[in-house]
Formats: sequence, C-alpha cells, structure tokens
Amino acid sequence: MKKIIFLLTMLCLVVSNSYSSPDATTKIRKDYHPRPSTWVPKDHIKALKLAQKKYEFVKDVFKEDIILRQMRFRHLGIGIKDIKSTYMVLQSPFVNTYEDIYGPVRFMHGAHAKTLNENCVICHHYSPKDSPNKILPCRACHQDAFNPEHAGRIGLKAAYHQRCIGCHKQRQKGPIGCTGCHLKNVPDHKKLVKLPKDPTPTQVTQECLRCHKNAGQEMLTSAHWLWRGPSPYTVNHLKCTKHGKGTDVLNND
Amino acid sequence: MKHISRREFLTSIGVAGTSMFLPKDSQAWKSRAPENPFACLVDVTRCIGCRKCELACNEANNLPEPEKDFEDKTVFEEKRRPSDKAFTVVNRFFSNKKQDKEGNLLPTYVKIQCMHCQDPACASACITGALSKQPNGAVYYDVKKCIGCRYCMVACPFEIPAYEYFNPITPRVRKCTFCFERISKKGGKPACASVCPTEAITFGRRKDLLQIAKNRIKQDPGRYIDHIYGEKEVGGTCWLYISDQPMEELGFPSVPKRPIPKLTETIQSTLFTYLWSPIVLFGVLSGIMAINKHKEEGNEK
Ligand code: SF4
Ligand code: SF4
Ligand code: SF4
Repeated sequence: MKKIIFLLTMLCLVVSNSYSSPDATTKIRKDYHPRPSTWVPKDHIKALKLAQKKYEFVKDVFKEDIILRQMRFRHLGIGIKDIKSTYMVLQSPFVNTYEDIYGPVRFMHGAHAKTLNENCVICHHYSPKDSPNKILPCRACHQDAFNPEHAGRIGLKAAYHQRCIGCHKQRQKGPIGCTGCHLKNVPDHKKLVKLPKDPTPTQVTQECLRCHKNAGQEMLTSAHWLWRGPSPYTVNHLKCTKHGKGTDVLNND
Repeated sequence: MKHISRREFLTSIGVAGTSMFLPKDSQAWKSRAPENPFACLVDVTRCIGCRKCELACNEANNLPEPEKDFEDKTVFEEKRRPSDKAFTVVNRFFSNKKQDKEGNLLPTYVKIQCMHCQDPACASACITGALSKQPNGAVYYDVKKCIGCRYCMVACPFEIPAYEYFNPITPRVRKCTFCFERISKKGGKPACASVCPTEAITFGRRKDLLQIAKNRIKQDPGRYIDHIYGEKEVGGTCWLYISDQPMEELGFPSVPKRPIPKLTETIQSTLFTYLWSPIVLFGVLSGIMAINKHKEEGNEK
C-alpha cells in the first residue's frame, strides 16, 4: 500500500508541477489523422433523434402464441430486410426513471436480429389489437412504469432489462452486468472529493483510494509497477533488463 | 345493622372480581387498516441482485456511505438485515436448486425492508404513538414523540426497526419510511421502486397489486408458487411478495395470518379499559386468603 501511495503521489506531483509552472514544457501530441471538422457520425445522430420520437401508446394488444406468431411472420416473409434502423441508442425519456447513473445503451438491432435467426418475435412479441401484422418498437406498448390504467404492463426500462438480461442469461451470450452494455456516467467529483485546503500530494492520493479501493491493488499487478526492461528507447539500456519499474526506477524501495 | 365480617366482605369482592373476568361486552378488536393504501409488489423471480434499490434508498434517505460500495457483490456472502444505515438490503439464496446449463446453481435475490403492515405490531406496541399507520399506507416514525423504549423492535414480527446505538445524544429508531415524502407528492414513487431496472418492485395501490400478482401467478403457473406473501400474513402488509418458492426459504419468518396487535391489544384493552385488573387480582388473592383462613380455622377446631 505504501508503495502505491508513493507512486501515485509522484504522479500527482508531476501533474501538479506541469500545471503550476508556466514555463514547463508541455507535451504536445500531433494528431496525424485528424477528424474532418465537418464529420459527424450520421447513424448516431439519427439514432439519437429516433430515440426521442414519440409513439402513440398502444392500449390493447393482439396476443398470440409465440411459435405460431413466428410461423405466421415467416409465411408473411417478415424478416431482417424490414429493419429500418440497424443501430439504435436506447435513450427514450421513459427509461430515465430515477437518475442517470448510466449512459444509454447502444443497441445493434441488425446484429441481434441476425444472431436470432431473423426471429423477430423474440422481442416483438405482440402487435396492436387491430393490426396483428404490425411490428412496433418496444416503446409503443411499454412506456411509463406503474401505470394504474394498464396495471400489469411493465414500463420501458423494465421491458428492456427483462428481455435483454433474460436472453443473455438463457443463451449465455452477451453481457449481464450493468457496465457490459452501459457506460457509467461519471458523477461530479467536485461534490465527492473531500480534501483540506492545500492538500499534500499524499492526502490527494489517499482521497482517491478512499473510493477507488481496487485501483490501488490493480496498479500493483500492472506493468506500471512490475515492468522490468528491456528499455529499447533508453540510450545504453536497450537490451538491459535490470532496470525498470519493478527494479530500480522510480518506485523501488 | 348487620355487621359484615371481614371474611364475608373479602369473599364477596372475590366473587365480584371473578364474575367480571368474562365481561359480556368485551370490546371487539377493530382493525385500523386503510382501505386501499399504496403498496409495493416484489417479484422475487425478476430481481437480478443489482443492489440499485439499496443505492437509491441510501441516497433518498441521506444514509451514511456504506462500508462496501453498492457495486460490490461480495456482500452476498453473508445474510444481511436492514439496519440503521441501510433500510433495505438484498440477500442471495441458492434454495431453489435450479441450475444453468453448466450446472451452476442459480441464485434467488430477495430485497427486504419494513413490510408496512396493515395493522402494525410496532405501532401497537409504541406507547407514545411515535409509530403510526398513515392513510397512504406508510408506517411513519415521528422522532419527536419517540422516547427510545424500543418496544417496536421487540414487537415487529419481521425484526425490522433498528436503533442508532452509536448515537448517544439523539438516537433514533430507523426503518424504511416507504419514502413517505416522495409518495405523498402526486405521482411520487419510492426511490427503490423507481430505480429498479427490471420492475422487480411494482408500486401501486394494494388492491391493484394483489390483482396483478394473481394475474402473474395465473399466467405463469410454472414460474410462481400460488401464494402472495403479505396478502394475509400478519393480517396483510403493504409490501407483497411473489416467488418461485415459499418465502420462508428466503429468510422470511413464518408468521401468523392474523394481525399481531389483535391478540395483544385485545388482552390489553380488556385488562385496562375498565381498570378492573387490580380488582381481579385482589379478588383472587382475597379468595385464596379466605379459603386458607377457613382451613386454618377448621384445623384449630
Ligand atoms: S414490518 Fe415491523 S416495523 Fe414494519 S410495519 Fe410491520 S411491525 Fe412495523
Ligand atoms: S421505500 Fe424508500 S425507504 Fe423504503 S426501502 Fe424503498 S427507498 Fe428505502
Ligand atoms: S433494484 Fe430491483 S433488481 Fe436490483 S436488487 Fe433491487 S429489487 Fe433486485
């Protein structure tokens, strides 16, 4: 533990020094393949827009046996060619029922349809009552949770989670934990970090480790801690394996 | 005027006392349960053990930071109970013996918190009325009335109320509040129910939820056992559970179907309403004394 604190302290020192002294030479990386300024990921923009699209709530649904439905759709020739958006961002306002601990899931609609042998009914299990052949997105039927007028109809968030996790578990494919699909929204650290005025570098490191307990342990198993040469970029030490962070550079006691 | 001897007097009181032992109009116990309060239905088969409900509860009630953060799954290694620092906890069980394809036992996760009984034993035991059943369903705790006697902790059949033992000056009894402030607002939902990703917790009116639970069991009889824990238990609770196995397997106590306060309050009220319990006591005692005296006198003769 002492080792980590020392090393991270050194890191902090380096960082803080480079900020504090104005004449310290800052490292500038040149981007050899800059993104053209006009470029935007079009499918992502489209997906974000689609996520906000409102669908009229389907009150009554046409229920049928899932296997019969699958056969019916096969006969009708409904399949992967009918997919309108292959890429989606699951960011409907119905999903954010509490607060955004996680970012939205980016869902590969086409890829999922393909792996499920174009069997659309696994997710699109019902249709509106008056048009049994119509395939609507989840949020046409699943909207707000706990709607007393449609008791028993689960909300959109639960519909997603139950279907995704259920299927991933059953097939033992695809992520089950939260961060397998979601990016974690990093909370505002200004509120979380509690430090005295003018903290020492050690205090800063200790404060980081207060929450990121595993980060310290992980660091000890990484090359940043264990690496022992060779040092191909260090003059005269090109093939020498005596030096390195695991031996006599920086973090050794 | 005829002199009543001491013995006659005492005996007559004894007789009077015993005759009052079975009062004809003994006050019938009356449930004070609200008609159709807010409630929550926990579907154990839906819970994935993500502990987001614990996180949300912690935030909503400004509870202290936990020792292990809410992502940490090692907490499942032991069975936890709700405490003054966590009003709800999720426990893991391997009791249903179901396996996945590779033969790993499949876990069942169960969230526990105050059941918000329809006729709460805790409120009945509370001598100052600090705990009370609210019309919206919550069993509400008023710290200002609490004298810290902790009768509620003894009375609760689910062992829910916890006490801030560490706090010597202003200790409070702590338990799930049913997010009283949140649900009192229009459209407000308990924090745990709104965060739950799989709607393992459904929030609504108790009667609606009982209907939902019955429908779920009917539509998927292979998934559930035909029992709603909390429908009848301790006379009904506002937190209801449906599951694929008896809740007793999942760390829940096996409790009577009648309201707990019914028995205790009936005894209490029959004893205290007419203030005749001392009379019974002295009556019985004097009866015994009289008999003994009689025997002694007989022996002397
Ligand atoms: S579960 Fe216990 S604490 Fe909660 S209302 Fe019932 S008796 Fe009171
Ligand atoms: S209802 Fe509120 S206080 Fe009770 S467990 Fe849920 S979040 Fe916690
Ligand atoms: S948030 Fe829902 S799914 Fe997650 S542990 Fe709590 S009850 Fe279970």
